[in-house]
Amino acid sequence: MKILRSLTLCVLVGAAGYGQALDLKNLDKLAEKASDKVVISLDGSVLKMAAKFLSDADDPDSAKIKKLVSGLKGIYVKTFEFEKEGEYSPSDISAIRKQLESGWSRIVDVQSKKDGENAEIYLKTGAADGGLAIVCAGAKQLTIVNIVGKIDLDELSELGGNLGVPKIDVEKAKPPKKDD
Amino acid sequence: MSYLEDDLKMALRRTEPPEGFAERVLARANGPAPAEPTWWDYLMVLVRPPRVQWVALSLIVSVMIPAAGVYRKERQARAEGERAKQQLVFAVHVAGTKLHRVQQKVLEMGRMDTRL
Repeated sequence: MKILRSLTLCVLVGAAGYGQALDLKNLDKLAEKASDKVVISLDGSVLKMAAKFLSDADDPDSAKIKKLVSGLKGIYVKTFEFEKEGEYSPSDISAIRKQLESGWSRIVDVQSKKDGENAEIYLKTGAADGGLAIVCAGAKQLTIVNIVGKIDLDELSELGGNLGVPKIDVEKAKPPKKDD
Repeated sequence: MSYLEDDLKMALRRTEPPEGFAERVLARANGPAPAEPTWWDYLMVLVRPPRVQWVALSLIVSVMIPAAGVYRKERQARAEGERAKQQLVFAVHVAGTKLHRVQQKVLEMGRMDTRL
């Protein structure tokens, strides 16, 4: 009886964990139109295996990445770059936004007319293990990132800042004085 | 005299060698020395059953085959792990870069707001 109960619990926990990842299958059709694409799908078991292969000697960021992914259950990335504008339709993104309507809260929504890029950041709410979703839509580029599990945004951003982009501390940076 | 003694005497009685035996022995002794064994002779030694070499060879093969299987499996797992690692590093960098860019934009907009 105990075994049966444990098994049921395992199945339920597994199903809950699986259910947290966003369904990005609707973007698969964009792969044909894209000039460049990156599709990465790392579930919990692959993440654990990958983390084992991260050694501090390889890269100074390896230790940070190892720490960052220790609490994660999945990382899913889809990036498409197009030769022309309008290769993807707003409905492609709205299908993903629809999934983010319940249980997620949008913490950032940046819409830039200057470079035509819109970026949204969502955080999973009401779940013990958390999650992050980033939707970046430009005229010729579309990127969806879904991270399942507890994630430190500062650490993640810091790793992004190390990739050729200078690190900017949003909280510490002081705005310039207003010119009179 | 017992039967045993009779039998022994009969068995050990002097017999003459066959005709031409002495000549053949002398001819062999004076003849050329036997040739040095070639690599083929050495190889043939290995395949003459039953030999210790055969046992040793079987032992080596029986150890080598499973060892090769384990090595291949380990190599495959290592390759998969390395590939997963590369994907993980790339995925984290993509996510981090996007997050960082959004932060930058928010910061830029904050600066613009303060200027206005």
